[in-house]
Parts: sequence; C-alpha cells; structure tokens
Amino acid sequence: MDTILDLFFNFDFMWDHKDEILDGFWITIKLSLVGGFFALIWGLILSLIRQLPGKVLAPFRWITIGYIDVLRGIPLLLVILLISNGLATLASEGVIPKEIGIPQWLGESDPFWYGVIALTLTYGAYMAEVYRAGIEAVPRGQMEAARSLGMSHGQAMRYVIVPQAVRKVVPPLLNDFIALTKDTALISAIGLAETVQVGSDLYSQFFSLSGYTAGAICFLVLTLPLARLVDWQIKKQDEKFQRGIP
Amino acid sequence: MSDSILSVTNLKKSYGKLEVLKDIDMEIKKGEVVCVIGPSGSGKSTLLRCLNMLEQPDGGTITLKGNQVFGDGKSQDLDVLRRDVGMVFQSFNLFPNMTAEGNVSIAQRKVRNRKGDFCKERSVELLTQVGLAEKVDEYPDRLSGGQQQRVAIARALAMDPEVMLFDEVTSALDPELVKGVLDVMRGLADDGMTMVCVTHEMAFAKEVSDRVIFMDGGLIVEQGKPEDVLGNPQEERTQRFLGLVLDH
Repeated sequence: MDTILDLFFNFDFMWDHKDEILDGFWITIKLSLVGGFFALIWGLILSLIRQLPGKVLAPFRWITIGYIDVLRGIPLLLVILLISNGLATLASEGVIPKEIGIPQWLGESDPFWYGVIALTLTYGAYMAEVYRAGIEAVPRGQMEAARSLGMSHGQAMRYVIVPQAVRKVVPPLLNDFIALTKDTALISAIGLAETVQVGSDLYSQFFSLSGYTAGAICFLVLTLPLARLVDWQIKKQDEKFQRGIP
Repeated sequence: MSDSILSVTNLKKSYGKLEVLKDIDMEIKKGEVVCVIGPSGSGKSTLLRCLNMLEQPDGGTITLKGNQVFGDGKSQDLDVLRRDVGMVFQSFNLFPNMTAEGNVSIAQRKVRNRKGDFCKERSVELLTQVGLAEKVDEYPDRLSGGQQQRVAIARALAMDPEVMLFDEVTSALDPELVKGVLDVMRGLADDGMTMVCVTHEMAFAKEVSDRVIFMDGGLIVEQGKPEDVLGNPQEERTQRFLGLVLDH
C-alpha cells in the first residue's frame, strides 16, 4: 500500500517538480485555447460552406462534406504526424518557406504550432457538424422570413440564422472543447513538453508515476469546471424553452 | 394594362407527381385588395409563395411593375423582387433574437441601407400604427400571437413594399386575437395598399376585398366581386365550398 501511495501520490515529489509540471500545464492551456479558438472559427466556416444554396455551389458543398468525413474518420495522432513531419519535410525540400514549414510564431515552438494546426483541422470538422445541427434546428420559416424581406442568403445567415444556431449549440461545442483539451496530450508524440510529456520525462528520470498523477489533476482542474458549465448551460436552456411536466 | 402591378401567366408548380398549380393566370392592379379562398390543398398558399419566389415555379411568367422576374424557367434578381413584395406568414416567423423594434429595423438597415436613427424612428412609427407602441422593446416570446403577427406586418411594411402578401395570417391565432390583426389589414386596405390575402375569414373577404378568387385543384375556378363570388357563386365547386364554410 505504501509503495502504491509512494509511486502514484508522492506529493513531496510533485511539489519538488512543480515548476516543470506547471510549465507543461501552461502549454496545455495555451494549446487548448489557441487550438479551440481556431477550431471554433474553422468549424463555423465549414458549416456555412456546407449550407450554401443552389446548384452552382454544389462542388463546394461536396468538397466540404468530403473533408469533414475524412478528418472525422482518421485518428488525430495521424493528423499530428502528417502535419508535423509533412510541413517539416516540405520546408527542408524547399517546397514551402521555412517560416511556414517550421513555424515558431509568437515565441512558441514548432511542435506547438503543428499541434494547433492538427487540432484545428480535426476539431473544426467535429465542430462543423455541431454547427450544422444548430443551423438545421432553426425553423425553416426564419430563413423564409429573412429572404422575403429581401435579405441575401449571406445576410440571412449572418443576422438571423447563425445567432440563433450558435445559442442552441453552446453545450455541445463546450463538450467538444473538453475533448479537445484532453486530446492535446497526443501532441506529446512530437515532443512538445506539455502536461503528459512532462509526466513521462519525470517517470523516465525518477521512476515515479506521481508526475502522471499530477498531470491528471491538472487536466481535472481544467475539465471538471467545464463539465459543470455544460450542465449549467443545458439547464438554462431547458428553463427557457420547456415548461416542466409536474 | 398600365395599372397592373403584379401579373402571372400560365404559372405551373409540381411537387414530384403532385401538380399543385396547373395553369394560373392572374393580374393584380395597383391598390387592389384580392382575397384568395379555397379548400385545403387547392394551391392557394403555393400560389402566394410563388409570387414571392419562395417556391420556384416550374413554368409560366411572373411580372412585377413591368419587369419580368420569372420566365422560361429562369428568375431575375430575387433579392430585388422580394424587397418590393412584403410577405406575412401564418406562423409569424419573427426573429426571436431581436426585439420588436429590431425585427422591424433589421431589413431596413441591411437591405435598404437606411441609417440607424431613421430606422428606429420608422420602426416605432410602424409599431405604433399596428397598436404596439408599448411593446417596442419586447422580445417576441413576451408577445401574444396577435401581437407577434402585427409586428410581422410592421416588419414587412418597413420595406415600403409595392404589394403585400398575407398567407392565412389569422389561422394560428386564438379567436379573440384575430380582430386586432384584421383591423390592421383593414387599415392598410383603406390606405390603398395593394394586397393579396389567402384567407379563411369570409367576412373579412366580403367586407374588404375588391375581388375574390376561388381556387380548387390548382386552378382558379371562379373570381369576381366579393358579393358575386361569395353571395351568388356560379360554379358548383364554389357553392359546395361556401356551403361548408358558411353553414356553421
């Protein structure tokens, strides 16, 4: 029993290495926020292209549907490896400039930005489906009323449909954000010293698992409040839209 | 005819195998109030929705103010057509994310490019006209059905349309709320607005309209002055329909 406690819950060990652990956690937070931000935007763009009307624009819809299907169908780890090795190789072959192939924007490392790109590409696809559900849940009459006033499709989307759709999908978007936060751990595979990688480093150096446990605690600090926030949002919507049956 | 504002010829529309509009010719003159009546499924709502190109007809022509907006299966700039044709729906379709004033202002600002202050003033004026001066800042979910429908009418009027289309606008209302909406429509008719109303309100049709059109099976069966069509119908189908709706 003492061995287990010592291996997994050695708080002295955690305290001694709090600087490394918190540095890793800080990278996880930055990665989640930046990746989540771009995924939210990219997802909305994808869902809007998917909703474009008319025969002429059909190819754009097909390409978007294909993209969403493919990115949802392959592992994020594979996307991370393809992006990091792909961009780095293209840069070293001179196909693309080094600033893009080995991005070190705003003082962040290149694995960080490869991670952001991979998260945006994959979670953009997931979030596009969430937005789509929200857009399709807005009654048809809303679009008809907007168009009957002479608004273009784009104006109707911008002022009438999307504001209603986004409100409906805040909880599922937050759920995707929680999943994204946890999936940042996969970026340890390309050597980014985020929470999980720090745990691994501590394990290989000291054979203590308490670094992993500290990482788990860090993730929970982030995800548990988010989970409660989702529940609170759902409850708020329920109160607004339905009257309870006694 | 020079005073024709909206005309359709040989209008056809099918949903799959179901022919909803078979061959409709109709002409609306400036200032005319036309009520379209007929049994459920006769195509009257579809006709109205084709006039605003919310449904794409399969054939025929639609001409607004001398400009052919639809013909040969192709349509002109629909946003321009819809700007000049106001539409009010059975289910109101107010934008729930905006106040009453916001609902009336949004298209003025974004489609007509009017300045904010001017829009707001005009919206308040229109909401006052439909009897909702105190509800300017309320959201739709705080309004009764009748109030929502009057906001919807104000919203359509804000675009200064040449023609107003009313699609069974009182059918979803509680009986005691119908009068308020019909009163607003009466006022519009008195002011000379050109109106096409699909309606089940026979008393309203009789009193307000210049012409009543009876549709059945995707065709115009009979039309004329309200006292003739409603009081002394010539066609057997019209007589049967009126017998059913008036005898209760």
